[in-house]
Amino acid sequence: MIIELGHYALVLALATAIVQSVLPILGVKRGDRSMMELAGSAAIASFLLVVFAFAVLTFAYVVSDFSVRNVWENSHSLKPLIYKISGVWGNHEGSMLLWLLILVFFSMLVALFGRNLPATLRANVLAVQAWITTAFTLFILLTSNPFARLVPAPGEGRDLNPVLQDIGLAIHPPLLYLGYVGFSVCFSFAIAALIEGRIDAAWARWVRPWTLAAWTALTAGIAMGSYWAYYELGWGGWWFWDPVENASFMPWLAGTALLHSALVMEKREALKIWTVLLAILTFSLSLLGTFLVRSGVLTSVHAFATDPTRGVFILAILVVFIGGAFSLFALRATHLKAGGLFAPISREGALVLNNLILTTATATVLTGTLYPLLLEALTGDKISVGAPFFNMTFGLLMLPLLFVVPFGPLLAWKRGDLSGAAQRLFIAAAIGVMAAAVVAYAKSGGPLLAPLGIGLGAYLVLGAVTDLVLRSGLGKVAGRVALGRLLGLPRSVFGTALAHAGLGITLIGIVVATAYGTETVVEMKPGMLADAGGYTLRFDGMREARGPNYSEDTGHFTVSRAGVQVSEIWSSKRLYSARRMPTTEAGIRTFGLSQLYVSLGDEMSGGGIVVRIWWKPLILCIWGGALIMMAGGLVSLSDRRLRVGAPSRARKAPQLAAGAAE
Amino acid sequence: MLFWILVAALTAAVAIVLLLPLMRAASPLPSAHSHDIEVYRDQLEELERDRGAGLISEEDAELARAEIARRLLAASAADEPAGRSVPKQLSSNRMAQIFILLCLPAVGLGLYLTTGSPGVPAQPLAERLANPGEDINILIAKAENHLAFNPEDGAGWDVLAPIYMRSGRVDDAVAAYDRAIRLIGPTPARLGGYAEALIVQSGGLVTAEAQDALKKALALDPHDPRSEFYLALGLKQEGKQAAALAAFRKLADTSPADAPWLPLVTQHIAELANRTPADGGAAPADPTSDDIAAAEEMNAGDRQAMIRGMVDSLAARLKNDPANIEGWLRLVRSYVVLDQRNKAEDALREGLKEFPAKGNEGKQLLALGRELGLDAGGEQE
Repeated sequence: MIIELGHYALVLALATAIVQSVLPILGVKRGDRSMMELAGSAAIASFLLVVFAFAVLTFAYVVSDFSVRNVWENSHSLKPLIYKISGVWGNHEGSMLLWLLILVFFSMLVALFGRNLPATLRANVLAVQAWITTAFTLFILLTSNPFARLVPAPGEGRDLNPVLQDIGLAIHPPLLYLGYVGFSVCFSFAIAALIEGRIDAAWARWVRPWTLAAWTALTAGIAMGSYWAYYELGWGGWWFWDPVENASFMPWLAGTALLHSALVMEKREALKIWTVLLAILTFSLSLLGTFLVRSGVLTSVHAFATDPTRGVFILAILVVFIGGAFSLFALRATHLKAGGLFAPISREGALVLNNLILTTATATVLTGTLYPLLLEALTGDKISVGAPFFNMTFGLLMLPLLFVVPFGPLLAWKRGDLSGAAQRLFIAAAIGVMAAAVVAYAKSGGPLLAPLGIGLGAYLVLGAVTDLVLRSGLGKVAGRVALGRLLGLPRSVFGTALAHAGLGITLIGIVVATAYGTETVVEMKPGMLADAGGYTLRFDGMREARGPNYSEDTGHFTVSRAGVQVSEIWSSKRLYSARRMPTTEAGIRTFGLSQLYVSLGDEMSGGGIVVRIWWKPLILCIWGGALIMMAGGLVSLSDRRLRVGAPSRARKAPQLAAGAAE
Repeated sequence: MLFWILVAALTAAVAIVLLLPLMRAASPLPSAHSHDIEVYRDQLEELERDRGAGLISEEDAELARAEIARRLLAASAADEPAGRSVPKQLSSNRMAQIFILLCLPAVGLGLYLTTGSPGVPAQPLAERLANPGEDINILIAKAENHLAFNPEDGAGWDVLAPIYMRSGRVDDAVAAYDRAIRLIGPTPARLGGYAEALIVQSGGLVTAEAQDALKKALALDPHDPRSEFYLALGLKQEGKQAAALAAFRKLADTSPADAPWLPLVTQHIAELANRTPADGGAAPADPTSDDIAAAEEMNAGDRQAMIRGMVDSLAARLKNDPANIEGWLRLVRSYVVLDQRNKAEDALREGLKEFPAKGNEGKQLLALGRELGLDAGGEQE
């Protein structure tokens, strides 16, 4: 019964979302406040209903209720509990339910924290959120119902795809969806502004924290996904320009642009229309990402769905939301008042340049991702647009952007002083050039661009530090005063510095790991030695073992440096019994920020086994930098100045507000 | 019943939550720009704080203050006419209430009744394992769990193999018979079951591997009827008609008169004995190996449906093209297998209309009807 109750709760959530889609908008039209306020109650009710439905599905997974088709298809009674739970979203139906859960979660947040928003804006935003909720709930119920039943119930499940039986599945999709769906709030704000025909002063201050939150989650989600692919797939790569990866990378690029243009809008009321457009574009790319992954257009680990009706349904959602949003934009954008003016050389100008480059880069990735699909649909030719295309185009676009990143925070609003900023960045640039020179000298013979990339990374990190040093006045005033000033700086300044420094660190990681890493493929028999990254690996032999739902062959390697044993590595191949599917569990050992990566291949007839050994210098910088960027987002999110003063509250206790603020 | 009470309660609770805001007295909206004014005041305060902390220069602060003040003035000016306008008299929102009261049950029940399965209970695995009852899937799962940890338990495999066969998991059945034979030795039953599983696996073909097993079974028990039957069938498939006929006849002679396989044997004997070229027409094709492979994937209900579908299409074909004795024989037998005796008798009569009882084919039909205990209709006798 509990299963059916969860199913009914989901259907009732749809009914609630329909009410929430219609009545608040009518309320705004009629000037009826009670109908507008209904939006908040409805958002909270939908959230609770979807939480219940999700909890019921999770329960079905935990107790292995194979009368639920979805559980039978994706679970196994012997699976460890954590994978039973993460298995809820390790499949098409469950992951769409997670998507929906996060969507209504954000709607509820807007309902709860938006009490000090103008009533009409809040009602419109929640109504737009409800449109999205309605579309996705219908999609789930009609084409991908996780509550479909099986009578009679099978005795054992088919198990989860072994590649997904990993802690990564527990973390990566929820984070990624927090990012994707977080941008829905920005989208709803943009649509609400277009419906109202005006953007009030609170708009940008509201959009920026949502953008920041979504961007932070998406950054973490992408980084996590990349690390997961790196250690689980056993290919030693961390980014493949796979369409599924691009699907999450495009909203990130557009979201980064949105973050920066929202900044201009908040501070200067400029770029209003552009920000609205970017908000629509970013969420459209999130929807497109969902479409690409979910419709089965792409054959990849991620594309669980192969049912064409689903694809058509998602396509309809895309057309209605993206097409509708852009049409509304075309109709109403002229009603919006354009904002303040600024000189080309100014912080605004730098941010516009950032936006230009980022959107161009997004368009490049979009082209590279969709072109093969379009070509195949039109002519039937199968081509693959691979890393060389993206590295050439995307890399070339990013180069100037990375060069100007440190300039942005150093330029003043409205009218900036370029030569002044350049002078102030001189030290950072000089150290960057020196770093490049040292690397080029030490590593002569490597790729020509590598030292340049490393220098650029160092320059980015130091540029971020320069901003903090200048703002605190270190060196100009006494140390203690400077420290006081540094601590008194708004948190968003630290957020900026952290995010920009993180970018530099990631760049260094990418360049070093790509240019100076080594790959060795050898056939090894027990007792044989292989060298990688200054370490020597000795293959000691294989051992058989059994896990709860798999059996594995594990190879043992002893790692030594200059004859001294420093570590050991276990690397294994698993066979999952339910699906008869093999996976590799790469053996990875970390030395500082670098890693040794050992992956087992086929066994040879003579008793040997093919072993791939990679030396990945500074590879952890790639994800470490992303984590630092994420930390920057969180720090910036905690900046108290993002809150908007509510008329009612501020009138009642202005002293209190001011006192609490300082 | 409890389920529907809970459904009603849930619907009512959501309806109340949605209706409550509408019940409250409507308050007038604040003017559109009052928020903007507050936001600009906040910005001015923030600017003062930044200036006080030395974060921006006096000059910049002055410029910023001027800009915010300009916006503040503009917002206040825009607010003036709006503030003076008389609040609009609101009509009742009864329509909205009715919409909610209709939408929730209509969408909720309408969609749930089409997509849901009310009445299907939750079936947590632990509970089913504790009380397996008639649940064949659970019995299999229990046996599998046991065998996963005791793979050398030959008796277990021996019990599981025919269950696999019955639930259509032919590959598993082959493997289970194979293990049982290896672990606790061959018996005619085990070898025969193994061969049968192999035959189903290969789409009805008696393969060389199956024949090996069947011959071994006959070596253990020279009168094992199943082994004799399949070996004879294998001969027939290989086109050795005389040998097949002899083998089937031998089986028929040594079988007791009420043996359940006798009708089938007689049927084969009749087919082989009466095989005349051209005029009889070939029987509609056997289900292809693809069909059988598909059948293995299905559960029992689906498979039954597939058989029914094949029988229906056979009946339809015979209606258009009745001159097909093999088809009629097959149709009559199929209906009996599906336990639809009335239809079987109808088919028998239809077939006799096309092939009169005096002819060779008619006699064949009558013989089949007698074997299956069907009433062929009085006028024929």
